[in-house]
Amino acid sequence: MAMNDPLRREEKKDPTPDKKDTGPSSPSVERPGRDDILKRMKRVDPKQSENYKQRTGQ
Amino acid sequence: MSATVPLLGIETEYGIIRDEVDNYDVVEESMKLVRRCEMKSEFGNWAYFRERSHQDMRGFNVPSLAQDEEEDAFCVEDRKRPYSYWEMKSDRVLENGARFYNDHTHPEYSTPECSSVFQLVAHDLAGEHIVFECARLRNQDDKPGKVFIFKNNTDYIGHSYGTHDNYLISRRLPFENWVERLVPFLVTRQLYAGAGKVGSELRNNHSFSGLQLAQRSDFIETVLSIETMTQRPIINTRDEPHATQDKYRRLHLILGDANMSPYATALKVGTTRLILTLIGEDKLKLPVTLENPVEDIKAISHDLTGTIALKRTNGKTITSLEIQEFYLEVADKNLSGQCKESDWIIREWARTLDELKHHPEKLADRIDWAIKKDIFTRFIESEGVGWDDPWIKSLDLEYHNIDPERGLYRGLEQTGDLYSMFSKDEVQRAIKQPPEDTRAWVRGLAVTLGTNKIKNIHWTGIEFTDGTFIDLSQTITSADLEHLINSKKEQYPWL
Repeated sequence: MAMNDPLRREEKKDPTPDKKDTGPSSPSVERPGRDDILKRMKRVDPKQSENYKQRTGQ
Repeated sequence: MSATVPLLGIETEYGIIRDEVDNYDVVEESMKLVRRCEMKSEFGNWAYFRERSHQDMRGFNVPSLAQDEEEDAFCVEDRKRPYSYWEMKSDRVLENGARFYNDHTHPEYSTPECSSVFQLVAHDLAGEHIVFECARLRNQDDKPGKVFIFKNNTDYIGHSYGTHDNYLISRRLPFENWVERLVPFLVTRQLYAGAGKVGSELRNNHSFSGLQLAQRSDFIETVLSIETMTQRPIINTRDEPHATQDKYRRLHLILGDANMSPYATALKVGTTRLILTLIGEDKLKLPVTLENPVEDIKAISHDLTGTIALKRTNGKTITSLEIQEFYLEVADKNLSGQCKESDWIIREWARTLDELKHHPEKLADRIDWAIKKDIFTRFIESEGVGWDDPWIKSLDLEYHNIDPERGLYRGLEQTGDLYSMFSKDEVQRAIKQPPEDTRAWVRGLAVTLGTNKIKNIHWTGIEFTDGTFIDLSQTITSADLEHLINSKKEQYPWL
């Protein structure tokens, strides 16, 4: 169906790596947004998981 | 549309808390959350009498399930409550054809039946937005504290709740054929479908620390079982197709994680559907047989590289990556070029396995466990804490918080460096509209246009107050849907 088709946007983006291109190359992963998320992570209550209690579900 | 696996669906149980309040009642919170939903919906008329949850694929009925005991316990323990068990469930069927209710104290969103993987992922995202909107409304009403919702599967102390992926398949093949060909695939798909978990909840094993691939793997105890709350299996044997019994089975998988990443959801459901297609079309020879898949699923989860050696029944070993590569190769050979969606799944599956092998850091824009590994490692280095610090487990939990102002995945989405699959408009459409080419379309229309005239409603049909009934159990394909609409148009002008 016409809706919900990520393929449409994918055509406009840079091509994804060719699956045949499996040779090693130097990793070049820059993620500038990760510095912003550090600030949010520092605001998380360190005890939050200890207070998180749920009942068993399915 | 895959003729071999025509319908798909995902059920997600969400975690729920109210902060700043001691001893809040989780039953009340979950119930009130579902009741706060403002969407057009049919309320309280779910047709439980049409459920057949005690039939087993192996050809027998079980007298009771753990969930029955929980229901009994509720009735005894909570007799003082001013509402019945059924009122507590607060069942809704929404205008988009989905089911939304309070299941075992967890708000549960079950997507409408979908015909494509991308359609399904959009509806899974729609569920997140619907549940969050209910929390937002609840937080306007009630003080003190705020309700927060988590799309995850554990509370880190041994209580798990599920995310079930469902596939309609043919009954033509014996159940054993599906099982033996599926098990090696299912125990290894966590390489990309795992949502990541800090720490372990395995009994008698306190030696593991750090990040593992999946949240649910610690809770898998057997290969086959009809149970979902105890003895959780790799393949659930509940024989409840929600369709014509003699033609179809519904594969009900309860071993998977709730993914925050829609890409991971698409890969999880997409690859599983491809494997089911291969099995259903007799194109998959018997793959490797693992000696102990239940132990393996835990060992694989503890190995972020996919290289741990797994024992085969023939005495040799194989790695989880090699198993996935075997399935990928068969899918590529037999199913490439059939449709764009399948091609996308095969291409992304190959890219993901390749990057896991050579450049795992590249997965940190789309695979949940790899995103966690990246951001938690940065945090550990920044703060000088270790993986065992409770703070890291709290970050793990907050990754799954669906509040845009709090959740870590939500925060990363806002920075724009995650793989994006859908626009806001597309998700909004899935919130409001059922899939146009499945029977969910009829259910959604009935809810929107037939309100106050529905006596009861279910996946398999809708009964109206005038005694008439629309049977949906045989409406599987888009052609079936068209036929149903044409044949019922006169009787139900809103169709």
